[in-house]
Amino acid sequence: MPTQRDLFKADQSLAYLFIAPTLAVLFALSIYPLIYSIKISFQGNTGNATLANFARLFADRFFLAALGHTFVYAAIALTIEFLLGLAFALVLNHNLRGRNAFRALLLVPMMLPPVVVGVVWRLLLNSNFGAINGTLKGFGFNTEALTWTASPTLAMASVIIADIWQWTPFMFLILLAGLQAIPQEPYEAALIDGSSAWQTFRHVTLPLLKPAILIALLLRTMDLLRVFDHIFILTEGGPGFATETLSLYIYRTAFRFSNFGYAAAMSFVLLVITNLISAGYIRLLQTREA
Amino acid sequence: MNTFRRFGKYLIVTGALVAALAPIYWMITISFKHEIDQFAVPPKWFRFPPTLEHYAEAFLTRSFGQYLFNSLFVAVASTVFALLLGTLAAYALARFRLPYGLDRKLALWILSTRMFPAIVTAVPLFLIMRDLRLVNTKLALVIVYTGFNLPFVVWMMRGFFAEVPRDLEEAAMVDGDSRFGALWRVVLPLVLPGLAATGIFCLIVSWNEFLFALVLTQTDTAMTLPVGIAGRVTQYGIKWGAMSAASVVAIIPILAFALSVQKYLVRGLSLGAVKG
Repeated sequence: MPTQRDLFKADQSLAYLFIAPTLAVLFALSIYPLIYSIKISFQGNTGNATLANFARLFADRFFLAALGHTFVYAAIALTIEFLLGLAFALVLNHNLRGRNAFRALLLVPMMLPPVVVGVVWRLLLNSNFGAINGTLKGFGFNTEALTWTASPTLAMASVIIADIWQWTPFMFLILLAGLQAIPQEPYEAALIDGSSAWQTFRHVTLPLLKPAILIALLLRTMDLLRVFDHIFILTEGGPGFATETLSLYIYRTAFRFSNFGYAAAMSFVLLVITNLISAGYIRLLQTREA
Repeated sequence: MNTFRRFGKYLIVTGALVAALAPIYWMITISFKHEIDQFAVPPKWFRFPPTLEHYAEAFLTRSFGQYLFNSLFVAVASTVFALLLGTLAAYALARFRLPYGLDRKLALWILSTRMFPAIVTAVPLFLIMRDLRLVNTKLALVIVYTGFNLPFVVWMMRGFFAEVPRDLEEAAMVDGDSRFGALWRVVLPLVLPGLAATGIFCLIVSWNEFLFALVLTQTDTAMTLPVGIAGRVTQYGIKWGAMSAASVVAIIPILAFALSVQKYLVRGLSLGAVKG
């Protein structure tokens, strides 16, 4: 009779056979394109080797502006989504009648195709007949200054609002799951110690919730830094250059101006930034566990 | 005091629900309104004579029927391929301890391929697909979305397989089943709910994806619903009604699916479900 160990050792070659197709597909669709991308980023127009694409990065004020927009967008959206998500998670962490139904309905925006989110907010924010200005007018407000996506200053707010609307439910859901995984005992101890609600939150809830918070922030940050879809629909990066993020500028450089080498060079900057930030989060996660 | 706080909570929750759902409801009303009502000030939220003209326009006189078919085809095909390949890999990674900790390293590497921002691979993949003469084909999107979903399938299914006790398949194997037979007859039925949830997440990701579809398709033969909708938005003289009608159709399957995977949502989301 073979032992358990033998059974699993015997067909290790089967394991490689099972994994190989997946590795082959992922190699073809992520590693090979990455190598291809490195190659074209070092190529000039005539195919000669050059560093021109990387040198250009530092002198291109559009690139620097897009980088700035990306950070502003990500920082503001992340902060508001986190605070709102945490607040809702704390409210819904208690036994409320119909909690599961509330939860399911609150998650709807997150599931929508981002393109549809762009459409939804174009319909709401249109300065002539959008529901938001229309409703304000109905209450007698003067909405002439509220041109939303047509105004350079309000356009950024518009695309951030749409992001907050779609992704706050994500923060909420991950943080609620984190809250529900916290055992009751620390709370009972805090109650016996006579801690105030704020002290309990600060010294019991927050530390125990830290892993969930870090994971939610990590995943959202990655998505925010690469944002493309709903901005493309809402403002197309405009008016002017006001809402052009890095992904949009790379897209435009490659597919409108056919400058693939420069687009590839910029995409490496984006890749390095997202990798550094995610490495930072992961280090924070690990120090907590150690 | 307690009832007061309770009331406050319901107030907050109701406010959040209105904020989450009213924008979608507004788009739905636009899709059923005559043009004159679409632009009414103050906006007509509830009382307006409904019409199906925008749905007829989008799906009969314009090509949204074709986009809908393309979206369905690409989503289903890429999900099937990702489940087939990914489940096998997941099983192997969950059950075998490979030398040098290779199983763990491979699993992490597989997950890391999902972390690339889409635009980073979109530029070279477009050039590669162009060289292969696959631009503007549904096949190109099926291939790309399969790759998109694979890491997710591997990680989800690896978790589900790990929850199945080894004794069950060992018993089957001792009784003379091959390993593949044990996987097929004993393990797979046990992870079927997880497999279904994983498949639904893949369908949603493929259905919602925009950037690759925008880059890789330009004509009706391969364009998906999001690209079709985007094409209408960025032109002059936007047909708000037809666009909203197409958007409503684009969210119906998503809502139906989303409700069915509630139980697995947190696990799926922390592995990057929903968004590519």
